[in-house]
Amino acid sequence: MNQVVGLLRPTSGSIRIDGRDMVADPSLARRLCSFQAQAQVPIDGLTPRQAIGLLGQLRGGTGRDVELRRARLMEALELEQWADVDAARLSGGVKRLVAFAMAAVVPGRLVMLDEPTNDVDPVRRRLLWRQVRNLADHGAAVLLVTHNVIEAERSVDRLAILDEGRVIAEGTPSELKSRLGAALRLELVLEPEVTDMPESPFGLAAVPVGNRVMVGVPTDAAGQAVAWAESLEAAGLVEEFTLGPATLEDVYVALVGGADARADRAEEALDANAA
Amino acid sequence: MQMLRSYRLLVTWQALRKKSYLPLMLAVQTLFTLGIVLGYPLLFPTLDRISIYLIATGAPAISMVSVGLVALPQTVGEQKTEGSLAYMRSLPVPRLAYLAADLTVWLAIVIPGVVLGIMVGAWRFGLDLQVSPLVVPAMLLVALTSACIGYAIASVLPYMLTVVITQAIVVFVFMFSPLTFLPDKLPWWFEAIHRVLPIQAMGEVTRGTIAPGQFTVPLEAFVTLGIWCVIGFGVTYSAMTRRG
Repeated sequence: MNQVVGLLRPTSGSIRIDGRDMVADPSLARRLCSFQAQAQVPIDGLTPRQAIGLLGQLRGGTGRDVELRRARLMEALELEQWADVDAARLSGGVKRLVAFAMAAVVPGRLVMLDEPTNDVDPVRRRLLWRQVRNLADHGAAVLLVTHNVIEAERSVDRLAILDEGRVIAEGTPSELKSRLGAALRLELVLEPEVTDMPESPFGLAAVPVGNRVMVGVPTDAAGQAVAWAESLEAAGLVEEFTLGPATLEDVYVALVGGADARADRAEEALDANAA
Repeated sequence: MQMLRSYRLLVTWQALRKKSYLPLMLAVQTLFTLGIVLGYPLLFPTLDRISIYLIATGAPAISMVSVGLVALPQTVGEQKTEGSLAYMRSLPVPRLAYLAADLTVWLAIVIPGVVLGIMVGAWRFGLDLQVSPLVVPAMLLVALTSACIGYAIASVLPYMLTVVITQAIVVFVFMFSPLTFLPDKLPWWFEAIHRVLPIQAMGEVTRGTIAPGQFTVPLEAFVTLGIWCVIGFGVTYSAMTRRG
């Protein structure tokens, strides 16, 4: 994202928006992109109303349009009660919503959001995701970086998973989930003293994440999975378990792995499943 | 057109951000000035007329230098560390407009303290100052040059080094720079160094325009300040536009 807006120079490759070279013309890139950085915005001393309005005008918006759009965004993100409060007195989450509104008030062709849900409470995160989707539905391209994979799944069209700076998978959420080879996910919480991972009877990946194990389960084996988990529970190996639909987070965990399961091992398991 | 519009909006933004600084800066500058005009006569109970004028005009110069070369670089260094400078650089505005807006707001913060400093000095020593018509542009040039050099230091150096260097500048300006004394009090080699550095020129321009009846400003002082101002601005602008 820093490369797109001309803060960093790429070591190789090219960046194009509407066919135009952004590396050669970083000031055009800044006009075409609105950007919410991961660091908090420098708005202490300003109120959210002032900050969003100023950004709208700096992005070339005219008075009336900026006012209307700002009012809509503040209403949609439930920011009105803080509209005239000095940002220095706002919580991190509210400030981040203001930063989002600053990026969205006059969106460019590309809106880039770096971890926009950080510090935001669960209720307002939903409002935020709705507005992210709204930007895309109204014609802007949205490039978003997040660790909040489960929530992102409902809003994104395409995604890439990065591990240590490399793209390790990309596609639509359903394409990526199909790589798991399992429509269901059995989550086992191991008893504290258990160190050996139970062998999965389904021939699918069993990925350890801390004291939990994620086991892929085919749809027709749901009953069998519950019976197996109950037997592990009865044997004192498992504290509790959950069976549910596989999510994008399972793909992420399988690819990137927990502290004790690195990407290469997980990817081997995934490729074996897909085959 | 875009430059002016951006400049106007960014001045508003920066002024709102820094409005809480104004009372603090005024207080710090007033304390500096009071410390100098009240403290020096305690150290040297019998001061001749020239020394009194040097102290009264040196105090506002020191307060301008301490904001531009100390407070400003430390603030900009913090902005660099917390990422807010990068955010401002990612906005769709000419970097020149951002830099000009930020410098404008810094000047607006420093100038009230300078005016107050001149008044405090004149009051303490009962001076009837007949300021030169050049005093306003001269004070702006001194304040702008300090701010540009301070900005350049913070733009180029890592934050920790900026903090160390600005602390060293405080000692250098207070103890070893001809602001409250004339340069001929220094050893010849130190005098030679000060002819190249901007601080002596800042002192000459300040006292020569606040008390033109007592001091004359050599033209070289304006030239030296002009050169340092351009260097400071150039280094800052190039750091602003450089891609890492």
